[in-house]
Amino acid sequence: MQFYLSVLTLTLITIIGVAGVYVLTSLAGMFSLGQAAFMAIGAYASGILVVKLNWPFLPAAILAVLISVIIGFFVGLPTVKLRRDYISLVTLGFGEALTAILNQMTGLTGGAAGFSGFPKVISFPIVLVAAIICVILVAFFKKSKYGRQCIALKGDELAAKAMGINVPKVKMIAFLFSVALVSLSGVLYAFYVTYVDPTLFGWKLSGEWVIMNFFGGVSSLTGSILSAIILTALPEMLRFLSDFRMVFYAVVVLLVLNFKPAGLLGTWELTPKNVKKLFQKKKEGTHASSGK
Amino acid sequence: MKKLWKTLLVLGVAFSLVACSGNKTETSEKKETETETTEKTETPETPETPEAPDTNGTASSGDTIKIGALQDITGKTATLGKMIQAGAQYAIDEINAAGGVNGKKLELITRDTTGDVTEAINAFTLLATQDGVSAIIGPPVANIGLAIAPLSEQYNVPILGFAIDTAVLQNKDGVTYKNMFLFQPSDDQQGAIMAKYAINELNSKKIGAIYRSDNAYSLGLVDGFKSYLSESGSDAKIVQEVQFTATDTDFSTMLMKLMNAGADVIYAPNYTQELITIAQQARAVGYTGPIIMGLDAAPPFASLAGAASNNVIYINNITESEPKVAEIMEKYKAETGADATNKFFLGYDVVNILADTITEVGEDSVAIRDAVEKLTGYEGLTGIISINPENHQPQGLEMYIHEIKDGQSVMIKQYSAE
Amino acid sequence: MAIQLLLNGLAVGSVYALIATGFALIFSILKFSNFSHGALMTLSAFVGYFVSAGTGWSLIPVLIVSMLVGGLIGLFGEFVAFRRITKRNSATFYYFVSSITLGTFYESIVTIIVGAGYFVYPMFFSKPAIWIGNFVIQTSSVVMLGISAIVLIILVFVLQKTKMGRALRAVSYDRDTAYLMGIDVFKTISIAFFISGALGALAGVFLGIYNYTLTAQLGNLVVKGFIASVIGGLGSISGAVFGAVLLGLLETILIFFIGSGYAPVATFLIMILFLFIRPQGIAGKSVQEKA
Repeated sequence: MQFYLSVLTLTLITIIGVAGVYVLTSLAGMFSLGQAAFMAIGAYASGILVVKLNWPFLPAAILAVLISVIIGFFVGLPTVKLRRDYISLVTLGFGEALTAILNQMTGLTGGAAGFSGFPKVISFPIVLVAAIICVILVAFFKKSKYGRQCIALKGDELAAKAMGINVPKVKMIAFLFSVALVSLSGVLYAFYVTYVDPTLFGWKLSGEWVIMNFFGGVSSLTGSILSAIILTALPEMLRFLSDFRMVFYAVVVLLVLNFKPAGLLGTWELTPKNVKKLFQKKKEGTHASSGK
Repeated sequence: MKKLWKTLLVLGVAFSLVACSGNKTETSEKKETETETTEKTETPETPETPEAPDTNGTASSGDTIKIGALQDITGKTATLGKMIQAGAQYAIDEINAAGGVNGKKLELITRDTTGDVTEAINAFTLLATQDGVSAIIGPPVANIGLAIAPLSEQYNVPILGFAIDTAVLQNKDGVTYKNMFLFQPSDDQQGAIMAKYAINELNSKKIGAIYRSDNAYSLGLVDGFKSYLSESGSDAKIVQEVQFTATDTDFSTMLMKLMNAGADVIYAPNYTQELITIAQQARAVGYTGPIIMGLDAAPPFASLAGAASNNVIYINNITESEPKVAEIMEKYKAETGADATNKFFLGYDVVNILADTITEVGEDSVAIRDAVEKLTGYEGLTGIISINPENHQPQGLEMYIHEIKDGQSVMIKQYSAE
Repeated sequence: MAIQLLLNGLAVGSVYALIATGFALIFSILKFSNFSHGALMTLSAFVGYFVSAGTGWSLIPVLIVSMLVGGLIGLFGEFVAFRRITKRNSATFYYFVSSITLGTFYESIVTIIVGAGYFVYPMFFSKPAIWIGNFVIQTSSVVMLGISAIVLIILVFVLQKTKMGRALRAVSYDRDTAYLMGIDVFKTISIAFFISGALGALAGVFLGIYNYTLTAQLGNLVVKGFIASVIGGLGSISGAVFGAVLLGLLETILIFFIGSGYAPVATFLIMILFLFIRPQGIAGKSVQEKA
């Protein structure tokens, strides 16, 4: 049981990260290869505050997320006015730089040997509550003015600009919101696992999050969460596949890209209304077929 | 098609909601059993008892004694983990062929860490709870060891590992983790052995160090080396050090910096692959002096690096001049076509230690832990092993110093850190 | 020492230039960052390894075979991961996901075939280094620098002077118009992927030779090509070359003076600096985001 609980908790932490990437990628159409670096900032900053400076957990967690957002602001600043490609490359460079800093500042971060000694304050129920809150926040953001502006500029940046949307500002808001969620997932991870090291937060992880988002549906939050569950928990259950599971994973995503370009769920969301519609349609469908 | 997906989704979510609520109740149950175990720790308990509902099928009450191997089978450090596993399996086969332990056969259950901390934690949890193993043969990589060390406190399974970073054995306040053990010289000891050799045998005064700053193993060996230098009172010192990282390709610039500082010995405690590049580029830019390397320059390094490996000095857990080692190497080669490296013998020795312990105290994991803590004078192929009960490290364990001459490794001396 | 550093920097920079141009070529024609380029390098470097280990051929034939295979891998990648996306005129988003997934695919194939171990690259030179007075330079550096320069000069010539090059530039400028002008757009895109793959293969084999060893992680070095490309201006071939040489020189100097630990921080700051003062890159060709 311990094992399944552990997998479930880690999956929920991933969901928070993926929800963060959802805001950035699925809503605003920007791709970052450095979101994992913000996860690292969340983990390390809260760790340093609690372990080295003896702060209580909650204020440390809040300050850590705040620090990530401030750093995120400076990373985002040169890129929001440029083509969206730049943000992926700049965040990539940022991730590399951050890894170097974590490795070098041994006194503060433990360097390559990693940072240990986190008190284990995070448990499954806390993560569950946090994940639910985060997902609700993202769902609200999607419906808010900024969320809709994000979707507008994702489709056509020039047109969005012409409609009077302040494109750099909206991009920045989406980016910072995403950074906050991702760094929160870092805080939770660190205080659940009680150990982090710089290799955990490479650009591959950021890339994987983007793939998860895509896999579920181009702009469906439900889909993103679902694929986070499938793609994190499933490989865990299929441990015996080891090397082959990555091939499997890649082939499936390539097939989806080629033949179901909207992702598994497209833009469909899990809302009471949609569920109702679904079952109604289904009934009609069965009636029709039985009538034949 | 679309509808099918959505229906599946709705069903899935409904199912997971049910599963979640189910989980929650199980969590609270879980907590109760946990507190029970902590209360019961005074009386020895088999690890699977608190997990009884889960491990009914796999509990080691059967006719085999289960030993876990938490190793990197895939991922960056897989070459190390696979060797330990192979050595452990080899020893188990030998023991089982001779009739097993206490009338039972040994069984090795391997869980792959994939070289990733998160995966390693899941793998460890599986071994410690569901698999019902009596003891775990731990990983050779510090970061994995560091991640599972605090977690190991909540179970009653000893982990006999090889991560040489002593932080794997003690927490921040210097309290020894009850279940973590080290079965080869620590990084402090290995660094000290190499420093001792540089001063005493090479009469080195100016040492240049090249090491990877994003690798805990490399850093630990540098620290051990440095602290021996400063404590020894010798006038030898590190005149220049250069650090590199995973994505560096050009070592020649760094090596030239060492040469410019007048280094008469180069200290390079890095992984084999990096050592090949360093040796090649060092010889290419004209450095002909001795290069001191750690365990990683053990065979097959010399055959891989070719002529550049001459005048390389390295330490090893084993020596091929020991007949039993040579015999096993030959036999393993004949069976599998692969070469047994030093990690193979670490796994081999630990399984034999476990077999001896189980013969004495039985398969109960707490009893094994207590016995391993008091281990003294076990004569293994990797040296005479005595565990210090205070810090769970081997005490005064000797290593074999080798020099590569004309592509051949020659054993020079046996050294311990003391 | 200064000249010594310059030589090392140029040698490293020339490999970065190969990576960056392969990357920039795809960017210029399809306007996306090809994140599978690193894994392609790894795959081709292993092809080079197996070819030379299996046949014992000398450097030039090994390079030619590897480049051909690299080119074919490029074609394959374009076909399975990008062809349909391009036909649908999809958003950049799709290319991003597709290229990362393709990279993962290549990488896991390499891991399955070769495992996690390392391979010792065959040595092609009888003398590992050349001494010129007080300076020493590794033979592999000289060869790398020379061949990269020749290949890049040929590439520039092809792009500027041949019909194929003009077609490439036309498609990169405006795909629809190029199509109306009678250019076979998909053939042109395929050619770009072939060239890019061949350049990536060359870089991969060189890195193998220069490092003497080869692992599945080789592709991580592609980051250097990305950064060089940003410094030079995304999508600009000449910018990529300048950016790469600059990055190679800077890194070598940084390693010598402050060590390699903080080098990624320095390169990141330089990248940010360039984006602030000259967002269009050194080459000054600003690519507008099309609606």
